[in-house]
Amino acid sequence: MGRVRSHNAEKVLERLEKKINRQIATSLAACVHCGNCSSCCHYVLANPDDPTYQPSYKADQLRKLFKRHVDWTGRVIPWWVKAKSVYTDEELEELKDVVFGKCTNCRRCSINCPMGVDHATFNRMARGLLVSVGIMPEGVAVVSKDQWEIGNQMGVLKEDYIDTLEWMEEELQEEFGNPEVKIPVDKMDCDIVYSINPREVKYDPRTIADAAKIFHLAGANWTMPSEGWDMTNFGLFSGDDDLGGAVGRRLYEKVEELRGGRLVISECGHGYRSTRCEAPNWGKIDVPFVMESSVITMLNYIKQGRIKVDKIRNEGSYTFHDSCNNARSCGLFEEPRELLNLVVSDIREMYPNRTENYCCTGGGGAMSMSEYTPLRLKSGKIKAEQLEATGANFVVTSCHNCVDGLTDIIRHYKLDMKVTQLVNLVAEALVIPEKVVVPEEEVPVEVEKPEEAAIFAGKKILVVDDEPDIRIFFTSVLEDNGATVIEASDGDQAIEMLRAEKPDLVTLDLNMPGKDGGQVFEAIRKDEELAQTRVCIVTGRPELRRLIYDRPVAPPEGYLDKPVDEETLIFNCRKILELG
Amino acid sequence: MSDALHFASHRLQEIALVTMAIVYAFRIRWILKFPAGKERQAPTGTGSLKPRTSIIYSWFNIAQPWAMESTRTKFFLYAQFVVFHVGVVAAIGLSFVIPYGPGLLESPALMNIIRILCFAAFLVGILRIIRRVGSKPMRVISSPDDYFSLLLLTVWFFFAGLATPNNYTGGEFILMTYFWMTAFFLIYVPFSKISHYLYYPFTRFYLGKTLGRRGVYPMVKGHR
Repeated sequence: MGRVRSHNAEKVLERLEKKINRQIATSLAACVHCGNCSSCCHYVLANPDDPTYQPSYKADQLRKLFKRHVDWTGRVIPWWVKAKSVYTDEELEELKDVVFGKCTNCRRCSINCPMGVDHATFNRMARGLLVSVGIMPEGVAVVSKDQWEIGNQMGVLKEDYIDTLEWMEEELQEEFGNPEVKIPVDKMDCDIVYSINPREVKYDPRTIADAAKIFHLAGANWTMPSEGWDMTNFGLFSGDDDLGGAVGRRLYEKVEELRGGRLVISECGHGYRSTRCEAPNWGKIDVPFVMESSVITMLNYIKQGRIKVDKIRNEGSYTFHDSCNNARSCGLFEEPRELLNLVVSDIREMYPNRTENYCCTGGGGAMSMSEYTPLRLKSGKIKAEQLEATGANFVVTSCHNCVDGLTDIIRHYKLDMKVTQLVNLVAEALVIPEKVVVPEEEVPVEVEKPEEAAIFAGKKILVVDDEPDIRIFFTSVLEDNGATVIEASDGDQAIEMLRAEKPDLVTLDLNMPGKDGGQVFEAIRKDEELAQTRVCIVTGRPELRRLIYDRPVAPPEGYLDKPVDEETLIFNCRKILELG
Repeated sequence: MSDALHFASHRLQEIALVTMAIVYAFRIRWILKFPAGKERQAPTGTGSLKPRTSIIYSWFNIAQPWAMESTRTKFFLYAQFVVFHVGVVAAIGLSFVIPYGPGLLESPALMNIIRILCFAAFLVGILRIIRRVGSKPMRVISSPDDYFSLLLLTVWFFFAGLATPNNYTGGEFILMTYFWMTAFFLIYVPFSKISHYLYYPFTRFYLGKTLGRRGVYPMVKGHR
């Protein structure tokens, strides 16, 4: 009698053959196990004693199914070619750990395979097979759900998005002293429809303001869509072509609805690749308008003389990190360098670079899979060495995942370096025409400091976290900026202090012993006296947000993903407290 | 020449070749039954965007050891690869020369070249066996087929080198062994990893097409 196969295993095998195209079939059949790919993978280089990180070994975990069920020799004498079937959900879980946890789909092994085996492509297919039966990291499930249901991968609500745009618009109007400076929304018949990454709304709204400043000074006829504005696409990471196609279609249809001339995609590697290159294939859509990276748009503005930049304004030394999706899958590696060269003076090339660059380790959706974080940081050793060797003060990248991935590596390996993006550098280098009222150039460091110190003056903030280090960090940052901070180390203590102190804001850790953050949050919302308290959920595991989503109460005012840096903490608290 | 050797060097080889060709035809049909992916997006990138250029580049990438880090940084392994595969061409060529053009081997230069190539490939085969058996990472990724195919070719190179003078007057063992091994090799190939050369044009074609459309191929230098 044959072994009984689980329902999920049945489904995976059933869908395997349907998902295979000619490129994947030959890639799966062609590997000769020469081992040449091994030295090209950052996971292997950082884990030299563990041969299971080799790309060919990882690929074999899918290849054995292909050989057993699709190819011929493996059907007759499976042991001869290491063909093997799958029977249990536990085996599928093991496959999940390989395809999600040990590979970022960076494609470095693909371009180094003498046979032309495109491992990254079928690794993505393997992810898709597992996702189709619900086997995936929690973070992938949460983010995919947000993108399906809310329309963007960070679950940003429309009102929050519009609020952020208005907030940035006000800041720009103040900076230019001109109420006519706009961040247009849903303006019809524009030359440019500008799409962004939801991370910009939640954690880095400055990039939106910087882009708006550039468009304004270039005299661009542009708009941002009120919906369908998320150019990121978790379908690329989850391997779910249906999600990938649907997300792309949402964006394309909005551009057509607005009768936009072209879609400009802000700096994001996977967003650019998905929107520009892959979603038309996933969704079988022939896109009728031009799509380009904002890097190219900014470069063209400078070349055409529509904006003027002065590279002296960006002090320090800079190196450029090529995002895998931009460089290895979209050929976008010369334009960013050309642009960087126009806005900074001291550039130090990183080696290897362009299509040979190493992954930031945050690609392939790795930033949302917190269960693999230790492994990710360990494999980041290669990137850390690469960064350190440049001796630069700043690493510039055109990708939001890379920003987060590199920030983590810099912190973990204690490098003296900061991460920035081209849009920030271009905005900083802008030469503002005389007619525009500009704040004095040297103002920010000297004058804004005392102003910033009083950002939270008069505000009482309760920091709830079981980790003393986090409490100390939050407290010192918030107190330095004028807040009165009180602390609680567990849920019960937090509720007591809430009642006694009535803080304006609570930063609430989710994962705590005893009464967890989810329970505390629900208790706050259900208590008439406390229900209006503003809450910022803080967690190192995005999938735990489900503890919040599943509760029948009004959502929190904000989220923060650990690790949190000073700037992000201040930005988010300001936003939640509506301090402009 | 005995009837047995004549059969082994002529009819047996023809049977083996026809068998291989038939199996390959089925194999190609099998490959073509999978749908080819369609590229709908406009080309991106700064590389050559002509599909033909990138596909040709991809096919000949292996002949440019400087183009890939994996070959550039491991030149000794790359040299082994070249010697091994040139040895395959020489040993296969020998199976046609002996029955259909034995006069060619009367040229000492040609005979010595084929011999050297076969023995050099044999030595590389030994090195490859040592690497595959001695290295833990290689053992982890190797299947019985990987070991057997490598062993088969290494022994075959050895006999091809010995058989090159085509001298059966002192005994037919070497030539018989070479031709029977050649026939087995030809029939076994489509079922083993050795058939990778059949897939090579396909994998490289699609990788070249994909990366060409994305301006990645031909590769731009990204190292010191």
